[in-house]
Amino acid sequence: MSSSAILPVGDGGVLGAVRAFLGSLWQKKLIDALLVPLELPSGDNVVPAIVSDPEKLKMANPLAPVMPLNSARQVSAITIASPSAERLGVVLRPCEMRALIELVKLKQASLENLLLIGIDCPGTYSISDYGRFVQKVKSPANDFLSKFQEGKEDPLLRKACQICEYPVPANTDLVIGLLGMDLNNSILLEAGTAAGERIIGELGLEKGGVRSREAAIAKMVSQRAERRERLFEQVRKDARGLEKLMAALATCINCHNCKTACPLCYCQECFFDSPVFKFEAEKYLGWAQRRGALRMPTDTLLFHLTRLNHMVISCVGCGLCTEACPNNIPVADIFRLVGDKVQKDFEYVPGRNLDDELPLTTFREEELHNIGI
Amino acid sequence: MVKLNSVLVIGAGAGGIKASLDLAEAGFKVYLCDRSPAIGGALIRMDRWFPDNHCGLCQMLPAFSTDDSSRFCLRRGLIHPDIELMPLTEVKEVAGQAGDFRIGVTSRATGVTPELCIGCGLCAGVCPVETAREFNEGLAPRKAIYPPHPGVLPYVYTIDWDSCTKCGACVAKCPTQAIRLKEGEVIRQLRVGAVILATGFEEFDPVLATQYGYQRYPNVITGIELERILSPSGLTGGELLRLSDNRAPGSIAFLQCVGSRDSRKDYCSSTCCMFALKEATLLKQANPQVDIHIFFMDIRAFGKGYYRYYEQARDELGVKFTRSRVPVIREDPPTRNLVLTTIEENGALAKRQFELVVLSVGQTPAPGFQELCQVLGVEVNKWGFCRSELFSPVATTREGIYVCGSASAPKDIADTLVEAGAAADQASGWLARRRVPPTPPEEAMESDAEEAPRLGVLLCDCGQEITSVLDLEEIAEFSRQLPDVAWVARVPYLCYTDAWQRPAKELRKHKVNRLVIGACSRYFNTRLGEIGLNSSAVQKVNLREHIAWVHGDNPKVATEKAKSLLAMAIELARAPEPEPASPVNVHPRALVIGGGLAGLTAALSLARHGIEVHLVEKSAGLGGNLKQICYTLEGDDPQALRENIIARVKTDRLIQVALETELMEVGGYAGNFEVSLKGKESLLHSLEVGAIIVASGGEEYRPTEYLYGQNKNIITQKELEGKLFSAKLDPRNISSVVMIQCVGSREKERPYCSRICCSQALKNALRLKEGNPDIEVTVLYRDMTSYGFQEEYYTRAREKGMTFVRYEPESKPEVRPEGERLVVEVAEPVLGGRLILEPDLVILSPAIIPPENTPLAWTLGVGLNEDGFFQEAEVKFRPVDFLTEGIYVCGLAHSPRGMGESITQAQAAAQKAVSLLTREQLVSGIAVSETIQRQCSQCELCITVCSYTARMKDVESGEVVVRGALCRGCGACVVACPSGAAKLRGFKDRQVFSLIDAAF
Repeated sequence: MSSSAILPVGDGGVLGAVRAFLGSLWQKKLIDALLVPLELPSGDNVVPAIVSDPEKLKMANPLAPVMPLNSARQVSAITIASPSAERLGVVLRPCEMRALIELVKLKQASLENLLLIGIDCPGTYSISDYGRFVQKVKSPANDFLSKFQEGKEDPLLRKACQICEYPVPANTDLVIGLLGMDLNNSILLEAGTAAGERIIGELGLEKGGVRSREAAIAKMVSQRAERRERLFEQVRKDARGLEKLMAALATCINCHNCKTACPLCYCQECFFDSPVFKFEAEKYLGWAQRRGALRMPTDTLLFHLTRLNHMVISCVGCGLCTEACPNNIPVADIFRLVGDKVQKDFEYVPGRNLDDELPLTTFREEELHNIGI
Repeated sequence: MVKLNSVLVIGAGAGGIKASLDLAEAGFKVYLCDRSPAIGGALIRMDRWFPDNHCGLCQMLPAFSTDDSSRFCLRRGLIHPDIELMPLTEVKEVAGQAGDFRIGVTSRATGVTPELCIGCGLCAGVCPVETAREFNEGLAPRKAIYPPHPGVLPYVYTIDWDSCTKCGACVAKCPTQAIRLKEGEVIRQLRVGAVILATGFEEFDPVLATQYGYQRYPNVITGIELERILSPSGLTGGELLRLSDNRAPGSIAFLQCVGSRDSRKDYCSSTCCMFALKEATLLKQANPQVDIHIFFMDIRAFGKGYYRYYEQARDELGVKFTRSRVPVIREDPPTRNLVLTTIEENGALAKRQFELVVLSVGQTPAPGFQELCQVLGVEVNKWGFCRSELFSPVATTREGIYVCGSASAPKDIADTLVEAGAAADQASGWLARRRVPPTPPEEAMESDAEEAPRLGVLLCDCGQEITSVLDLEEIAEFSRQLPDVAWVARVPYLCYTDAWQRPAKELRKHKVNRLVIGACSRYFNTRLGEIGLNSSAVQKVNLREHIAWVHGDNPKVATEKAKSLLAMAIELARAPEPEPASPVNVHPRALVIGGGLAGLTAALSLARHGIEVHLVEKSAGLGGNLKQICYTLEGDDPQALRENIIARVKTDRLIQVALETELMEVGGYAGNFEVSLKGKESLLHSLEVGAIIVASGGEEYRPTEYLYGQNKNIITQKELEGKLFSAKLDPRNISSVVMIQCVGSREKERPYCSRICCSQALKNALRLKEGNPDIEVTVLYRDMTSYGFQEEYYTRAREKGMTFVRYEPESKPEVRPEGERLVVEVAEPVLGGRLILEPDLVILSPAIIPPENTPLAWTLGVGLNEDGFFQEAEVKFRPVDFLTEGIYVCGLAHSPRGMGESITQAQAAAQKAVSLLTREQLVSGIAVSETIQRQCSQCELCITVCSYTARMKDVESGEVVVRGALCRGCGACVVACPSGAAKLRGFKDRQVFSLIDAAF
């Protein structure tokens, strides 16, 4: 599956080239609709939308360095009841695609009739930082990319993005490649599957590739891995052990926003929102009596530990939980650190491959050694 | 003919327990007697078993109706409502006939009234007599009054009359007047329909073989003594120390065939190779530095998975193996080490020093066994074991009396348990099945789950055993303050017969509907009926063993712990009692896959119990591999057997045979399978069956080695057998043959022993010799595996002048044609040179291989092992079951085995199926999982993690549902479900929260 083509970049910049490519999918009748981020009229954010009229593509902006939500969750919403009957194109960042793979394994989404288009991700800002960023520049996407081309990584990028080792999407039918490209001239369209290869053929694009890409990816990944290790060191210092973990989570107000933002938390009804946790007054007072004082709201630590327990093996590190927290608890940092250990123990990489079985569903006798049995 | 419902099982070791459980589960009343005071036989003196190196005894426990019988460790005791245990009991008299035996038994008094004994041990404290203790192989002393073994339940003492001096010290000390120093016997007459003889074996006494220095040298011990030393319940607490100096030995020698395969005991004990390998493996795993050396004649690792285990010990753990004749042992007096002088294979003498020598002693008939057989009126064979025939391995010479395990021939646990199942199957043919009422007891339903909980707390003083440590008054007062507690009382001895009368009255008076008992480890469930409560309304806290006896030095903390545990039990008792799950109906019909010996035998057994059988066979005829077996080593007629069983199957109105038919699809679950079958010409048709028996067989490997197929004088054993039998080949025209063993077996691609090829070679070699005594027969082998009584034929073959030449897998024999002649060249280990033979015929002994089983395994949803044979649920304790309930396996589909062994296994599989199919309904236990649909996201994680196929997605509703009867309540689904949608009845979240809360 090595076939790839070069998409020329014209006056509209990289964004123009991407829009032109997406439009061509309609022209060749390769898709019936497309899930893609559209710019808000205000210009200070984007939201994913199902576009059925190619005219709307002029607002499409999958390059805007902002991710208000993880689209994997939207793909789940669209396909969970029944798979898509029409051909739906879906533009996804690497972490969105990885989350989608996990959701498919958990039977919460279907890839049937989807054309998956991944796009290289240099990183994203938080919504507020993006809002400030767009104030300063004329064309946010192109401007961001040209800075990126110069090798400048903005320290304002979300922490989750700064330590993300997966800037290039995997498992998608097509990849829009930015890394290692001369963005003033061209971007890359790479096929990831046989379906993708067919599409490149049908679009009649000139085949070609670039040598510089591999090295550029490797460089970026190693920089980010380095940063990740530094962050892990910090989190270990700040949140390891029950006392420190409780301190780190001390400001949790039990809003469960992190659960809502998480692309993987797929329960119909969160156990922690269920009547199991609605106690009688005598219980609260009893606990308070026994301990002298009872921190309210209760069960915040249990909530986070349970979510870790359930989700950390599949955590793709998109970082939206931290974004969603009203009190700036570094939820994602903790998930990444714990996830790193657990995923290594089970030799599992979330989102790597549809065929990798979820560790919970497989049993290997030797895996017990990792937990000291 | 009169048919009774009850059966007597003699011997409560592995085989006896298994047969009893199988029969009790099938709805029969079982008397299980044993000469000793406790159950377990040889089994409970061992802690761990090959090949998985742990205990799996509880795997034997019943799978259905689990609430009453299976929350219990079999090492400690056997409690089943339909099994009456009769310890210290012997059979004295047998009258009547099959279907209606009258059996006189005598039970010796233990000297201790079990209803009064509280197990406090004060008696043993004052007993002045010290004697050797049989549980620990005489390695540790015990008193004349003692508990039969450390974990026994109920924990009741017993008197060893042989060493008791009747001094009366114990009588005076006993706080409950439980001891009567009067020997006596109780005579009882039992009426039973059938008898199963499961008396096991006695170890060979190595004192009889003086060259080993056993008992002269302290560091020469037997295998079972080693087992006791290594056990945590043994005398060094599990540490391996030499008896002479309490030092850990750095080098250990195992000597094989002690009391087996010699002029006096001309049979192989079949188990000692694996026993030694297991001990060596455990020792090496605990301490890789220890040097372990096994001296042996042939390694006979012929069971399923055994050869792999041997290779692992040799290649991965570094256990050393030396083939040698029986060595002579001398002690080196200053060090008390042992010097072994061995005659190695090449004839040279070698001396080696070891710090410990372990004798792998063989199995001999149990003492008094001949007399017992006389009483029973069954014959023994020339070795003193119970006589049985190849084609009816569990039948004795008397109708209605069956045998299993080492009573009929030396056997390991796996083979014993298969025979126990077969014996249960055969015995139940003489019994009248009791009709079990299909509906669950009504009282459970109406026990007013709605009614507000009113708790009673009953605390036992246990004389002073509990009160000397715990402040029971403080605990009682504490309990009174807890919610819903209506009544608290103390009793001096709860285990007394009359102890329940007063509480029963009080309970009624206070309208108590739940009870918490704080006492000891005794199993009080039998008494609950008297007070009108069922077991699910009662919680127990073990105040004695779990608290008083372990925290005797800290009464304050002990009392606090008791309060915590009681508070938790009270919280658990307060929770509303879950309603029982709805029972599942059973289709009383079975599908048997495969029309070979195993399939036919299973079908006949099923039909004998009135079960409708559908037997499907892929090929155009019945009989399978049996068609090509013309005679046996022991002189039986396989063709007569074949004709007989095929005729019986064809004429049985309950059996329908479908030839050229295959299984296409299986849906459903135990009791309710829906199978789709496809005949060659016909359309797919479906059938509802309750159970499936897989007897799809195995086949012979077609050799690619030794020029097979390229020269007409190179043939397989089967081909030779056919030619000899049909007289196409006249032995008088042959002057020499070479047989090559292990063709395709015990190789890298097939690391298993095919089990039957050695006896097949012996059989054909002896037949050749019979036809022409001058014929030269040379057998090229790796390990002659003539286990059990087949050893006799190996000896006979050597006496008749056959030559046995061993070869190493690295230097295999070479077969080449030279002109008209065949030349076989092989390295000769004894003389070290090369042996060149020019035989008329080369006979190959090919492996038994599985057919391509993957599609069938896939269809059935069951597993295959690494070699492609079907994978049973547990090697030893569930040998014919799959993890999926309701599907069973037997014959070559399971692993290579002889005809007799296939018959036994088929009967065992049939027994399991009959036991399932004769229930009208399957009732689940209380602790069954369920799905809260509102919370379920249908991710199906719970379905994937369920080992028992109890969870499935309902095709129509799309919901994830639970088949209660298959659920074992393991809770894996609850753990897997992130949504809290999978719940275990009786263990709901709020309940567990309250429990945790109560603890702190």
